[in-house]
Amino acid sequence: MVFLYDNETYSYDDLLHAISGSGTYFPLYRTKELFPFFANMIKALAASMPLTLIDADINASEIDGVEESDINAEQAFEPKIYQSMDEVVAALQQSRSEITIFTSGTTGQPKKVVHSISTLTRNVRLGEKYAGQIWAYAYNPTHMAGLQVFFQAFENQNTLVNVFGKQRDEVYRQITDKQITHISATPTFYRLLLPFEKPYESVIRVTLGGEKSDQHLYDAIGQIFPKAKINNVYASTEAGSLFAAKGDCFQIPEDIRDKFKVVDDELLIHKSLLGSSESFKFTDDFYHSGDLIEWVDKEKGLFRFKSRKNELINVGGYKVNPGEVENAIMAIEGVRQALVYGKANSILGNVLCADVQLEEGFALTELDIKKHLSTQLQDFKIPRRIKFVEEMTLTRTGKLKRS
Amino acid sequence: MNTKVLEIINEIRAAKGLAPIESVNNETKLREDLAFTSFDLAELTVKIEDEFDIDIFEDGLVSTIGEIYAKLA
Repeated sequence: MVFLYDNETYSYDDLLHAISGSGTYFPLYRTKELFPFFANMIKALAASMPLTLIDADINASEIDGVEESDINAEQAFEPKIYQSMDEVVAALQQSRSEITIFTSGTTGQPKKVVHSISTLTRNVRLGEKYAGQIWAYAYNPTHMAGLQVFFQAFENQNTLVNVFGKQRDEVYRQITDKQITHISATPTFYRLLLPFEKPYESVIRVTLGGEKSDQHLYDAIGQIFPKAKINNVYASTEAGSLFAAKGDCFQIPEDIRDKFKVVDDELLIHKSLLGSSESFKFTDDFYHSGDLIEWVDKEKGLFRFKSRKNELINVGGYKVNPGEVENAIMAIEGVRQALVYGKANSILGNVLCADVQLEEGFALTELDIKKHLSTQLQDFKIPRRIKFVEEMTLTRTGKLKRS
Repeated sequence: MNTKVLEIINEIRAAKGLAPIESVNNETKLREDLAFTSFDLAELTVKIEDEFDIDIFEDGLVSTIGEIYAKLA
């Protein structure tokens, strides 16, 4: 069974050999190579050793409490012999490791959050119907979403195909060559795949997470992957994956419904569902998620995300939700990607600006876009400066970077 | 410089569905003569800043074209 396609191909046997009988690991491992990264992680978790996950491109000075000398320093532990991957998976499921991860630092310095295997694998589905899946691995492995996908695939001994940060042609080539069945990625990743050229029928499940998506994107994904069910996932560094997706809504599972509150539209999460971190601030044991939601059916725990609290842009006293404007821009034919942000301005406080990336073969002007938006949005929500860009800057976790 | 400023003014007017103006002079008033709102003025500042790297409204209000030219000179 193939475990991972990257620059080389690794089988589950390769993985077993790398882990079984080894008595050393890296508690803080910095590497760009996926196979040694995963092997080290599984080795640590199966042996219940503590582990800190750091980005391949990060410096110790960028994160609190980490010394450069700790990085890639080997540590010994009591070696364990495993006869099969089933034994490794079983050991991992029972792990008592403390797993430290960092937020991607989009809003300042990365914050440290400590998790247990149970918060990280809360939503992993196991069983025969999950066997034989081939996953496009489209996330950074050191962050929550990448861990979610990894554990789902690994515990079912599925195949992973690394496509994180790859170009469009390469992603499509991998989907065809490896007959990928499952893709879980950010909306930004899927937008890279636009426009529709031909259908890819091997893909039966498409999951979007990490950012807001929009109808235009759903429609395009539906064309590109006609056999796929499309769903959403909500996972945060603080809490892992919490909700099941229902169309464009999320549902809070019944057994944990009392662990959530909504105050001023903001979703509050009870601390029992979170990892632990000194950076968390609680009000009566509830954590402010910063996600603004609206109830679709409060009785059933059904809600929709509106925006991030700190993302609202104040333009001359009006509050603009950049996600709403981005959706309107991306609904225009020929637009692949849009990023809306405020630029400090002495008259209005902020001027609304947009960076727009067009699909090949389309020529739109700033005026075209403004005219289009004026039929959809109130005047104050229309960006006053629209720049056309060749590429968008992405964060470490593959989301659009808000400056 | 003057052509560029006129170009920006007409871009802003076009988005509002207003006809382009052919010329401006030092006395042209931004609000009264060009029908600019504070949102339009903000756009004007941003675009002039993009072009000339100067925030024309940084130290107080500017109400005529002549005052803009003075800042850019």
